[in-house]
Amino acid sequence: MLEVRDLEAGYGDAQALFGISLSVNAGELVTLVGANGAGKTTTLRAIAGICRPAHGSLLFEGKPLNAVPAHHRAALGIALVPEGRELWPQLTVLENLELGAFERGARSRRTQSLEKVFELFPVLKERAKQLAGSMSGGEQQMVAIGRALMSRPRLLMMDEPSLGLAPVMVTHMFAIIRRLHAEGLTILLVEQNLSRALEIADRGYVIETGKVSLTGTAEELLTNPAVRTAYLGI
Amino acid sequence: MREVFTLAVSAVLLAGFYAAMAYGLGLIYGVLRIVNLAHGGIIMAAAYLTWQLFERFGVDPYIAIPVALVVFFALGAGIYLGLVRFLPRGPAGAVQSLLLLFGVWLIIRNVAYLLFTGNEQAIHTSYATRSVTVFGSSFSVTRILVFAIAVVALLLLHLLLTRTYLGKAIRAVAQNPDSCTLAGIDVERVRIFTFGLGTALAGLAGVLASTLFAFNPSFGAAELLKSFVIIVLGGLGSIVGIALGACVLAFAEVFSIYVVPPYLTSAVGFVLLVVVLVLRPGGLFGQRVLR
Repeated sequence: MLEVRDLEAGYGDAQALFGISLSVNAGELVTLVGANGAGKTTTLRAIAGICRPAHGSLLFEGKPLNAVPAHHRAALGIALVPEGRELWPQLTVLENLELGAFERGARSRRTQSLEKVFELFPVLKERAKQLAGSMSGGEQQMVAIGRALMSRPRLLMMDEPSLGLAPVMVTHMFAIIRRLHAEGLTILLVEQNLSRALEIADRGYVIETGKVSLTGTAEELLTNPAVRTAYLGI
Repeated sequence: MREVFTLAVSAVLLAGFYAAMAYGLGLIYGVLRIVNLAHGGIIMAAAYLTWQLFERFGVDPYIAIPVALVVFFALGAGIYLGLVRFLPRGPAGAVQSLLLLFGVWLIIRNVAYLLFTGNEQAIHTSYATRSVTVFGSSFSVTRILVFAIAVVALLLLHLLLTRTYLGKAIRAVAQNPDSCTLAGIDVERVRIFTFGLGTALAGLAGVLASTLFAFNPSFGAAELLKSFVIIVLGGLGSIVGIALGACVLAFAEVFSIYVVPPYLTSAVGFVLLVVVLVLRPGGLFGQRVLR
């Protein structure tokens, strides 16, 4: 479904990616793990289009993405739940969700999408009229995921969805991700919580200083001695 | 008592005009973080357009409003596409944007001097001198019309911003443009539209001003500064804040006649501005984001 080849990208003079290659097949849950600053966020931003790659190619469902403007990628079925949630804090929860379905195709089916989001996160229905900025961190994360789902994505990318959340909320988020995956959604997940990410993922990539250093199935990575010492501290 | 009533109603009528005048400046600042220094020039240009339509074709100033809206929307979109688009984004572009739009203002002003000379002009409609009497105080028909149009314009704008997808997108771009891109919103198109809309509102203010005041090509400077005072007073971009800011300025100006000589009325707003900036830099009502 998604094919990334030799991706190089950065911000100004600071190059963050030095030739990342990875692929995600339809229906898979793939996770990118690695230390802070390894280039996971930049990889997702390049796929979403808000960071311009300097080199390398992106293929989505066999079609090249590089020339597609960022705001047209939602219509193709690519959605990103950005790190730090990046909501519109002075808009209501409902407005945040509605704008997630801005693109024409998504807009025509927004009633069903909204029902689905409210079914996943019933608390958002109760808080629909509240300003997004006034919600707790966990609830804001729900709005961010809900907003991404409103665009009816075929590939859902999530950047650190558990960051800064209370432990009970982290468990809830992983349950939601597992459920979305079970319903057939293709997911590319960036997580610092490596053990929990690998628990629910099919495959993973370990990213180090802008390159893929290791890849394999979730079990392979979980049992890999290098991964265990470097990231799990075992 | 009657005098206080008359002054209070005058202040409310003036506040309506002020709010419509300030909204364009607030909208553009809220979404693009740019102070449109050409705002006053647009107000002046719209006054001249109205005057020309009235003198040459006998078009009533209030009938000229749709024409002015279209013309100045196009002009605003053109200024964005031709000039503003190339400014550096963020704080780096702040000084450049001030200089650039000040330059646009100078051009508009000097074109007006070239075309219409520096003579004062005014529009004399058949009803310009009529007035209505309410509780023994009389108010000019023109002022009441201007107030009504301003209120309708602000309500329509409020509906646009809160009820339509485009309006919600405008507010979202003001708050977080990257998230808009992710949601499939063409941020650049929203910015073009916003600059056009803000300029069209300045055009509306110019049409309304042309029926209230005499004007020459230097007209608009005080209007720009007052608009600025209002968005600082009211916080940037919220419709309630702008309305309240306009009320504060209008009441302060109107009632200042009890304290200062009339020729100092325009100074009242700026004293207010300095006091607010020192005491409450977030605005009187402390709402800085377009909502």
